[in-house]
Amino acid sequence: MNDMRKNIKTPLKLVTAVMLAGLVLVMSCTNEFESLNTNHNAIAKVSTAELPFLFTKALSAAPNSQWNYQVAQNLFADQYAQYFACEATYFGSDRLVINQNWVGAQFNPMYTDVAPQLQSIFASTDENSVEWQVASIWWVYTFHRVTDYWGPIPYFKIGIKDTSVPYDSQDKIYEDFFLRLTNAVNVLKTKTDQTAFTNPVYDIVYGGDVNKWIRFANSLRLRLALRISNVDPARAKTEAEAAVAGGVMATSPADDALVQRSQKGSDGNGLAIMEWNEFRMSASMESVLKGYDDPRMPEYFLPSVKTGDYEGLRNGLTSAQLTDEGGLNSTDYNSHHGPRWSPSDIGGTSDYLATSQNVMCTAESYFLRAEGALKGWAMGGTAKNLYEAGIKNSFLQWGIAADAGAYAASTNVPVAPNDFLNSPPMTNIPVAFGATQTIQEEQIATQKWIAMFPEGVEAWADYRRSHKLKLYPVVNSDNPLITNTSTQWLRRMPFLLSEQQTNKAAVEAAIPLLKGPDNTQTPLWWDKN
Amino acid sequence: MKKRLLKLVMLLWLTGAAAYAQTVVSGKVISAADGAPIPGVSILVKGTSTGTSSDAEGKYSLNVPDAGSNVLVVSFIGFTTQEVAIGGKTLLDISLEEDITQLNEVVVTALGIERSAKTLVYATQSVKTSSLTEVRDANNVLNSLQGKVVNAQINQGSGGPGSGARIVLRGNRSIQGSNNALIVVDGVPINNNSGPPSSNSTNATNDFGSVQSSDGASSINPDDIESMTILRGASAAALYGSQAGNGVIVITTKKGTKENVSVTINSGIQTDTPFQLPDVQNQYGQGSGGQINTATGASWGAKMDGQSFTTVMGDTRSYSPQKNNIRDFFRTGVTLNNSVGVSGGSAKMQTYLSYTNNKTQGIIPHNDLTRHTINLRISNQISEKLSTDAKVTYINQVIENRPRTGEENAPVIDVYQMPRSMSNADAKNYQAPNSLGVQQPTAWPSTLSSIYQNPYWMVNNTSINEHRDRIMGFISAKYKFTSWLNVTGRANLDKTTDLGDVRYQDGTILWTNSGNGGYFGKSTTTATQQWYDLILEGENKLSNDFKLSYHVGGIWQDTRIDFDNGTTQGLQIPNVFSTNFAANPTLTSASTGQRTQSIFGQFSLAFKEGIFLEGSLRTEWDSRLPSPYYLKYPSVGLSGVISDLVTLPNAISFLKANINYAEVGNGGLPQLRTPVWNFSQGAGNGNLARSTTEAIPALSPEIVKSLEFGVDAKFLGDRVGITATYYESKTTHQLLKVSVPIAIGYIDQYINAGQIDNHGLEIVLNGTPIKSEKFTWDVGLNFGMNRNKIVSLAPNSPIFYLGGNAGNGRTATPVVQVGGRYGDLISKKWKQDSEGRHIVDANGLPVGTDDQTYLGNFNPKALLGLTNSFTFGRFSARVLIDGRVGGVILDGTEMNLAFSGISKVTEKHRDDNSWTLGGVNESGTVVEKTITPQQFWSAGSNSTSGQRYGVGEFFAYNATNFRVRELSVGYSIPVPSVFFIKSARISFIARNLFWLYRGSSLLDIPGIGKRKLQIDPDMALGNGNYQGVQYATLPSTRSLGFNVKLTF
Repeated sequence: MNDMRKNIKTPLKLVTAVMLAGLVLVMSCTNEFESLNTNHNAIAKVSTAELPFLFTKALSAAPNSQWNYQVAQNLFADQYAQYFACEATYFGSDRLVINQNWVGAQFNPMYTDVAPQLQSIFASTDENSVEWQVASIWWVYTFHRVTDYWGPIPYFKIGIKDTSVPYDSQDKIYEDFFLRLTNAVNVLKTKTDQTAFTNPVYDIVYGGDVNKWIRFANSLRLRLALRISNVDPARAKTEAEAAVAGGVMATSPADDALVQRSQKGSDGNGLAIMEWNEFRMSASMESVLKGYDDPRMPEYFLPSVKTGDYEGLRNGLTSAQLTDEGGLNSTDYNSHHGPRWSPSDIGGTSDYLATSQNVMCTAESYFLRAEGALKGWAMGGTAKNLYEAGIKNSFLQWGIAADAGAYAASTNVPVAPNDFLNSPPMTNIPVAFGATQTIQEEQIATQKWIAMFPEGVEAWADYRRSHKLKLYPVVNSDNPLITNTSTQWLRRMPFLLSEQQTNKAAVEAAIPLLKGPDNTQTPLWWDKN
Repeated sequence: MKKRLLKLVMLLWLTGAAAYAQTVVSGKVISAADGAPIPGVSILVKGTSTGTSSDAEGKYSLNVPDAGSNVLVVSFIGFTTQEVAIGGKTLLDISLEEDITQLNEVVVTALGIERSAKTLVYATQSVKTSSLTEVRDANNVLNSLQGKVVNAQINQGSGGPGSGARIVLRGNRSIQGSNNALIVVDGVPINNNSGPPSSNSTNATNDFGSVQSSDGASSINPDDIESMTILRGASAAALYGSQAGNGVIVITTKKGTKENVSVTINSGIQTDTPFQLPDVQNQYGQGSGGQINTATGASWGAKMDGQSFTTVMGDTRSYSPQKNNIRDFFRTGVTLNNSVGVSGGSAKMQTYLSYTNNKTQGIIPHNDLTRHTINLRISNQISEKLSTDAKVTYINQVIENRPRTGEENAPVIDVYQMPRSMSNADAKNYQAPNSLGVQQPTAWPSTLSSIYQNPYWMVNNTSINEHRDRIMGFISAKYKFTSWLNVTGRANLDKTTDLGDVRYQDGTILWTNSGNGGYFGKSTTTATQQWYDLILEGENKLSNDFKLSYHVGGIWQDTRIDFDNGTTQGLQIPNVFSTNFAANPTLTSASTGQRTQSIFGQFSLAFKEGIFLEGSLRTEWDSRLPSPYYLKYPSVGLSGVISDLVTLPNAISFLKANINYAEVGNGGLPQLRTPVWNFSQGAGNGNLARSTTEAIPALSPEIVKSLEFGVDAKFLGDRVGITATYYESKTTHQLLKVSVPIAIGYIDQYINAGQIDNHGLEIVLNGTPIKSEKFTWDVGLNFGMNRNKIVSLAPNSPIFYLGGNAGNGRTATPVVQVGGRYGDLISKKWKQDSEGRHIVDANGLPVGTDDQTYLGNFNPKALLGLTNSFTFGRFSARVLIDGRVGGVILDGTEMNLAFSGISKVTEKHRDDNSWTLGGVNESGTVVEKTITPQQFWSAGSNSTSGQRYGVGEFFAYNATNFRVRELSVGYSIPVPSVFFIKSARISFIARNLFWLYRGSSLLDIPGIGKRKLQIDPDMALGNGNYQGVQYATLPSTRSLGFNVKLTF
């Protein structure tokens, strides 16, 4: 027995020794654990040095690039503005069906890739700084594109730490837009010698030019003023006149807002993704540009591979219509978007991904003023002069050498696209400024539509607001709420399925704000058509 | 402890004592499985104490009293004891059958600890290593376990030779983390990362496409494996703590012997051909609407009657079926395996040295694997008390042209998409130089010209290559304080460097769209794992009845993966693949590291060598967790050998029962506790974006609590054995990505929540129906079933999508939802009214549901493997039949090909105008409209998204299938004892020989009927949790081959 006890004691000592050794080893080393668990290829905490990169990200992300641009914009607004028609048989959105998984790209990145960046800038800079106010202008640009898709959206409580973020009504959101733009211009006017984040490289829209930011802010204010012109005409007039008085974009291309793109990141030009061969020129564009003998056509589109001519497709063709008809509706027979967004092997440019992306053009501000002038607002010119200046600036923007004056005086009218549906011309108005207000309104809307190409998000919003542009009826609707495409068109996007899942209470509370059912046919607050 | 237990005691009875003249009987004892000599075999004259044992060469010589009537009792650990009648012979060779269920065997358990099987409180299963080296799987040794391990579901990744595989034991339990069993070699987990060899190569998370890269297990050389044990349950694996949750495959590699030098040469050649290709129609050619049209890639054209037509390339051809254009695209794969192993040594020092050369030619043209494995093991007995052991394994592996699979522009989908009237000869004109002399794709008809391309362009002008250098090894020293107490220290390194490159020539659709001159990517992935442990091992007799054995120790484990990747969209000089020519070079780096530090203790208390109580506790400090970083992982178990404790009927020769409980962990990911901002190159000076997943400061590993109950029994003198195990496991603290309201600034957030339960039954049966001197027939049966239940998930998040994608798979989506089971597939279905009648639209075409709803579950209800082995003199044969019952698989390939009029199913009703579905409209009225197959398959079912991604239900199949998995017929060539070759064995082998049964489509479409499964459910797009959907997955292969094994 003694032996036995001894036999046990010895190992117990050893066990204790090994355990202790192990413990010492283990406990002494956990101080490296935090460093081991840190991602050294990323930034853990942003400070002043990182803010400019957040600023660039916000500028880059708000207009969407590449994949997000396709699913957010090409597949919806660009088709509903009839810049392009969908060539692929597997997308239903050209037949007015909303795929919730795609359209989320017009919503989600704004809250994850723009708002946190801009809010970090708001939190870390002085409200009277260039940085704060330029960020604030961009905030308005970002979220007006969101609210104009859906109406009520989460806005005032963005970024709160909560399980639900409330939706706000569109009129309140517009109220804040005007407030922000007014404040921004007031502050920036006193700081025109400064550059946001002191280095122009971070400002991938205006290269740090505060004067241009002021003109952009005023132009945006003018755009938004026209947007509410049917729901609150008095306020619209006040805002529009103040914007014009403060100085809107006036000279193309210097004042044009474009966001720089690159080939080395994932921030390539959004329209370049159309290289996937899924979109072609719309019949509307073909009818109008061909009819007007518009010199911008070769900038906007490439000739058809098969015919050598510019060929467009009606929006809303069925799979059968796209595949049959002797192939006339297939990709090779119709016009690809223009050379600056296309690779060199099909007649484009080698660095087409790095083509700067359109944000807002100077011509638009002239057309907005022309429309205001028709309403009798003080827009610093007559409707006709402003209309023609809009055309001229659009020519300048696209580097068109042709005489804009001659074009503006032209009596050409849109032509029939000679398609398998025997479509008539899209409309019958000439370019030369007409005699009646009805014609003038349509002309301003039509020329603005041409000039804003390819910015479909704004073009679709403007179409819904003014409804002066006479786009073709969509050929087929797969949307059960739209049974007559001559009298019905899409009014908004239904609230996102993902929001109904993750932010249910807020979405339910937002439905009454719509003053109608949550579907594609309830007009937004500013849509009085 | 370290010695193999030799149990020789046989109770004998004397049959007679008459003295006869003694005869010398001699011969050789060999293993029936591989013909190798077995040293140390006990050979006893039955009924006497006269006996001997075989020498190093398996030879024996024995004085026998009566060679006419005496019987020899031949026994050896790990082999079935045999009685051999001498029958007057003086030269008697004996071939012994391995006995894998023998309970006296020693089992290698967690951390490499060897235990007597009898004392274990949990289920284990050994795999015959000869079955891994004879019939080989060209891609991954894990695939060879198919049918051999009870309740193991194995899916083969779609990456060709060297592809990662997925092996799940006892059901899936993790949504975000891995469900793959832990692979342990010589006591230490290997790095089994399936990381990408380049940014262009990731594991599948959806049906669009991906490249399945190599995993760590695929570089294990089966020729160096000495034994393989499967620890299915948490209790058996508990000493691995946070890595134990999915069970463990314990691999022990070969060591040198103390005997004379022996050399083993194993050479095999094997050919691989596609086992199952999609069924295609051969009546209608390229075109649309019944007309020839070469602008489309679809085969909705005219009936092919040899009429003359002009191809899209401008050639005049006869419009005729190209019946074998798919099969002829694939080549016959050839696998060559050559290994030489040298083993030998003295009592002081033993060495094992091996070299293995594997050359595998995949079935996709130009896809090749070459692997060299050098292995050196040296074991030293330095003094009576001190011994050392050291091993180094170096692996060099080159994989060229690893195929992409899935729907994206990749060879498999591209070849399936060839019009039925397109010949391979025409397709081979895939390129022509442009004005600058740069090769460009020639015109190619495709249903989706922005994605699909000529398959010959893809295999000739694009490549994904992988060059792996891996070094694995350890040094260990063991010191024996006394006969009952020793300590072992071990240092282990596993370091893999993968160099990957990706090349797409200028003009490759999808991959070079955004850059002229081509795409090039080059990456380096270095995975390093260091492991150090110290284990004290002891055994004490506490009294006559009680014996205690125990292990205590500490483990330090550090794993690090560094990834550097350079890519360029565009090459300044076209198709010169070097970063020197990069038009838009982009460099990225990523690295993760984790460290665990653990102390553990384990004891086993034996009472009367019949009742065993066991417990263990591991405390683990883990760098991934929040301070104070540690968690405890306990296990406890009890077993009783009833047959040793009470008297049982004679028929029951052995009976044991055991029960155990354990709590272990599963993973936990590094770098999740703090939020980060990621930099991206771009306009300006680049930009910073915040991670869209909110961090989880209080991260916990997933916890697996497991209860297991088992019975082992043997009957009729061990002729029949059965092991039955029932288990339950509850996995809690699932690491989940929960969607959050996006306006807070994040898309999702990690949380630990939820509970997934698994329970199941496993039965392993072994029997020897016939056993005679000349002929032996052994049967082994594995039967396993697992049932899964999702008890809870996160609050407000009732559904999660497997594979990490955001859901809404375009064919079907594998999900996890409360009340359902892991791996439920949801998809769009053919809409029905309240009476269950199918709804059609005004044109008579099916109406799909708006949402994806439950379709089935991708897991089998039961898994079976049946091995029959026969020994007839020098011949032996083994047949493995295995299969699964239940489960659903979505055939996305058929969906895609039906859209294009290529699938066989699209052939029906092309020429009749009488096909109606007989469905009702939304208001319940029967619609009698006739439809065409083109309408039905390519536009009718869900016009909003098209049939490329259409209504999944039409393409869902019952995945039940049985097949002849392995067949081997071997012959041991008699070699004269004076010859320098000691044994020689040749075998003919076959794998995936033929189907015995295949499941059918779920839907019985009116006018179409049910179709048989036309894909192999074993294949998977990737080895992650995204399972149950195939989409132009690489076909599995049928192998035929020869193997020669020589021992010198």
